[in-house]
Amino acid sequence: MSFVPGQPVTAVVQRIEIQKLRQNDHLILGFSIGGGIDQDPGQNPFSEDKTDKGIYVTRVSEGGPAELAGLQIGDKIMQVNGWDMTMVTHDQARKRLTKKNEQVVRLLVTRKSLEDAVRHSMSNYPK
Amino acid sequence: MEFKTRFLRHTQNLDAHTLPLYCHITEQSPSNATSLAMMQEPQEVVEETVTIEEDPGTPTSHVSVVTSDDGTTRRTETKDMSANVKVTKMVKTVTTRTVRQVPLGPDGMPLPEGSSPLGSYTDSIDRRYMKNGGERYITPQATSTLTRSYNNSYNDSYGETPESQYARHYGLHDGYADMTDNYGSLSRGVNFRPPRYPYMPNSYRPENSYTLPIRKDDYGHVAQPQVPMGSSSMDLNRSQPERFQPEPYGLEDDRRSLGAEEEEPYELEPDYSTANRRTLQGANRGRTHREPLRDGPRVRGYPDDPIEAELIDERHPYIHGMYSAPLAQPERGSMASLDRMGGRRSPSIDSIRKDPRWRDPDLPEVIAMLGHPIDPVKSNAAAYLQHLCYENDKIKKDVRQLKGIPVLVGLLDHPKSEVHRKACGALRNISYGKDHDNKVAIKNCDGIPALIRLLRKTNDMEVRELITGTLWNLSSYEPLKMVIINHGLQTMTNEVIIPHSGWEHEPNEDSKPRDAEWTTVFKNTSGCLRNVSSDGAEARRRLRECEGLVDALLHALQSAVGKKDMDNKSVENCVCIMRNLSYHVHKEVPGAEKFQDPSALQAPGSAGPQRKKKDDAGCFGGKKAKEEWFNQGRKNGENDKNYDTLDLPKRTEPSKGFELLYQPEVVRLYLSLLTESQNYNTLEAAAGALQNLSAGQWTWSNYIRATVRKEKGLPILVELLRSDSDKVVRAVAIALRNLSIDRRNKDLIGSYAMRDLVSNLPSGQQRPAKNLEEDTVVAILNTIHEIVTDSSENARSLIQAQAIEKLVAINRTSQSARETKAASHVLQTVWSYKDLRNALTKDGWNKSHFQPTVTATPKAAKNGKPGYDDTTLPLMEKNQGSRKCGSGDMIPLDELGPDGYSTIDQRDKDCKYKTGEGSVDLTEREPLKNDTNRKHYIRSNRPAVSLVDACDVKPQPVDSWV
Repeated sequence: MSFVPGQPVTAVVQRIEIQKLRQNDHLILGFSIGGGIDQDPGQNPFSEDKTDKGIYVTRVSEGGPAELAGLQIGDKIMQVNGWDMTMVTHDQARKRLTKKNEQVVRLLVTRKSLEDAVRHSMSNYPK
Repeated sequence: MEFKTRFLRHTQNLDAHTLPLYCHITEQSPSNATSLAMMQEPQEVVEETVTIEEDPGTPTSHVSVVTSDDGTTRRTETKDMSANVKVTKMVKTVTTRTVRQVPLGPDGMPLPEGSSPLGSYTDSIDRRYMKNGGERYITPQATSTLTRSYNNSYNDSYGETPESQYARHYGLHDGYADMTDNYGSLSRGVNFRPPRYPYMPNSYRPENSYTLPIRKDDYGHVAQPQVPMGSSSMDLNRSQPERFQPEPYGLEDDRRSLGAEEEEPYELEPDYSTANRRTLQGANRGRTHREPLRDGPRVRGYPDDPIEAELIDERHPYIHGMYSAPLAQPERGSMASLDRMGGRRSPSIDSIRKDPRWRDPDLPEVIAMLGHPIDPVKSNAAAYLQHLCYENDKIKKDVRQLKGIPVLVGLLDHPKSEVHRKACGALRNISYGKDHDNKVAIKNCDGIPALIRLLRKTNDMEVRELITGTLWNLSSYEPLKMVIINHGLQTMTNEVIIPHSGWEHEPNEDSKPRDAEWTTVFKNTSGCLRNVSSDGAEARRRLRECEGLVDALLHALQSAVGKKDMDNKSVENCVCIMRNLSYHVHKEVPGAEKFQDPSALQAPGSAGPQRKKKDDAGCFGGKKAKEEWFNQGRKNGENDKNYDTLDLPKRTEPSKGFELLYQPEVVRLYLSLLTESQNYNTLEAAAGALQNLSAGQWTWSNYIRATVRKEKGLPILVELLRSDSDKVVRAVAIALRNLSIDRRNKDLIGSYAMRDLVSNLPSGQQRPAKNLEEDTVVAILNTIHEIVTDSSENARSLIQAQAIEKLVAINRTSQSARETKAASHVLQTVWSYKDLRNALTKDGWNKSHFQPTVTATPKAAKNGKPGYDDTTLPLMEKNQGSRKCGSGDMIPLDELGPDGYSTIDQRDKDCKYKTGEGSVDLTEREPLKNDTNRKHYIRSNRPAVSLVDACDVKPQPVDSWV
């Protein structure tokens, strides 16, 4: 998802709601994130645009809450509980996801297949 | 789980929004982690190095930069995102083309029938937005502003009554009920509340009035520029009345959702809390002065802010607009100036900016605003300055020349947190950069003591981060280091290092030892101390004697080892400080002379009293450990000191302070770091610390050398010789050299490390396994020299490791005089063993090979050339490494990703690329393969190192489970 700074960006997003799982003292979501504005975006293997400093899902643990909720590796997280994730540091994203007092995390994610699907359906739509 | 595809209008504007927040904390000194390694000629034994500085501009520092800004970033985004709630509701109307497409999406929104009214509606809004609101509200994350301006303009252009607007909105939403709903809950997340405004039209008035206080606040922000500037903001006010009408979608919603998050760390900023508090307490106020606006100010009374009241009074013709439209300018206060800045950067907005009614305050005006009597103006101006200064050396310079820095420094003592925070932010940006004049200017107006004062005073994490970030920046300039030490060392230690390290002065036996917290503040502070710790013997002395510092740093590192969390910047900083403080301990520590080489046999009584207990512990602690490694010309009497950890508790008192630096216990710590850390800088520093400690001829270095062996540190070090980081190899090589002062170590290193040492050597014809810098090659040669000296056994291993060929090649063809010389020393030593000459001649060598070459350079041309071309390789490797280490660091990505960036492949590519490019003959293939093999080896044994190839110059990308 590339964008021109200063220009609005449109993204097709999917809403994913993950119930945290309690493991001992920890609430876990069962996925891991990479990226963030403090990270080198060029090292992100999932982004199309290698300057994209967004937060990406890098791993999803099998059978974990995230997988159950439909999160996929390579998803770009746009929002967490309404908080923007496209312009945050890695740590901010992590903290936002791991609030101890929140049992549920609602994500807005985008992924290429979504965009493709939408693009496809739009191009087929009779104008 | 629902699967709903939505169009999210997601405005990303890197320019205006984030940039100001991206303040750089970590200034780095020009001397990039220079090591003061005093490379000595092979004859001499001891080498020590000091890590001087942060490496300039490493992305790692960026990390700190950004994180340090957590608060700010968070705050702004918060607002924007919460505003998204509304954006999304109106997404169809607000956005342009994309939005209109929405109905065509998979969800099949019922657009068609609504399209024509909606279309024109949208258009007008867009235009409106562009023309009017756009100008003001170009935030990077323009979502919020967009929406609001939309609202405004909507009202504006349609001039309907609120109620009818409601109806309209309502209908609109109804049409897209599905979407709205989803969106709402989505965007609001946990804070989602049912969209009550549309359904409760009457409620909005009170809601609006709740927001009044905020508006008032904002009003202050907006209007104040008028006072000093007198020009542009009048227009602004004039434009208010027409723009702002009571609005269905109250800001209140946003505020509330924000409020809910308030307890979270990021939302600690007073910004929000004040906003909310005011909202509450201001509810009444708001109502009262809602009607009687004209006399509002007085009725209301701002006892604490008469000036503001006065201002409002003066201007009340315009107030009406402001107050009746509380929703219009949500972010006015903190972001207004920035917003406008966004316009500057965004081409699409340029046209709007031509609107003559608008103009940004120029720099002198902004600086003048710093002295404005109203606090929000000050803080706004400072925030704007911070933004302007971001990555703009010209502006920084201008600020300096316009005498803005003393004003900012003056604001540090301002009692209002908003003001000193923003001032601090501006100072941090100003203090960043190569232009040392800015740093000096801060120092010259006593900025350093002011920062330290504030550090002592404030408990606000964000402010502390800003302060320590600024100090870190300042600390990169040599002349300021001592000033920082003089003013801030103990404060930084007491306020940050000790509390965050988890170390407790007098540990309570009941309480568990606390772990270190790797906060940004700690990182910044340790970075600052790391920089100042390189300022020579006096600086080292001050840091060593700073109460609690060494103890706390050690505690932090131990906790890092315990938690296996050793790759972060804070750990790196701590190890670097430790390493620097370990430098020359044997000369600089009080009473050190007493521990000097036993052969000097000084009278024990000559030491200071402080040393007594040491002595007791050391000299008379026990006799059992008669180590063979002490037999290198040491007398038993002195060498019996027991370094065993078992023995340490026997001391009358536990060692503390700087004594901890060279206690044998630290060896285990450093070895753990060397084993576990993947951060090259940490590895280098830990090896450097061992190197420093094992140098010298004092008692403690004897202990250290033996302890490294006993703790099985030699294999760890030898393994690091295979590291791909030049400086790690160098530090390890020198450490091995120092360690081999110990005879037993020398034998072991000779037997087990020789091959790895030799494999690091370049050879004239073949591509070297690695492309090491001259310093490193010289260090390795010197280490080899040390190992073969006095040991014909080791010289034999050297020959067996096929080193002679390489040494001769270096001796003859290297373009580096130092390399040539060092190689020649080794060769001469080897030749001096007569019993080895037979073997050597059998291999086809003769005396001439072992003699110093008269002129190395002429011959170097042919063979040496390719070797030198290789010096470009590290650069390439860095580039490649960046990708590589992406995969490396996100190790699992590597596994899961479609095409794991194989390190080996990468390396291969490098080499092929090299081969294709350079004029290279076939022989090069060989080392290429070697290289690959080596990689395999490393990969299987130490994936950590190979996977993070060249990562030391990159931010270590992180991958966090959540």
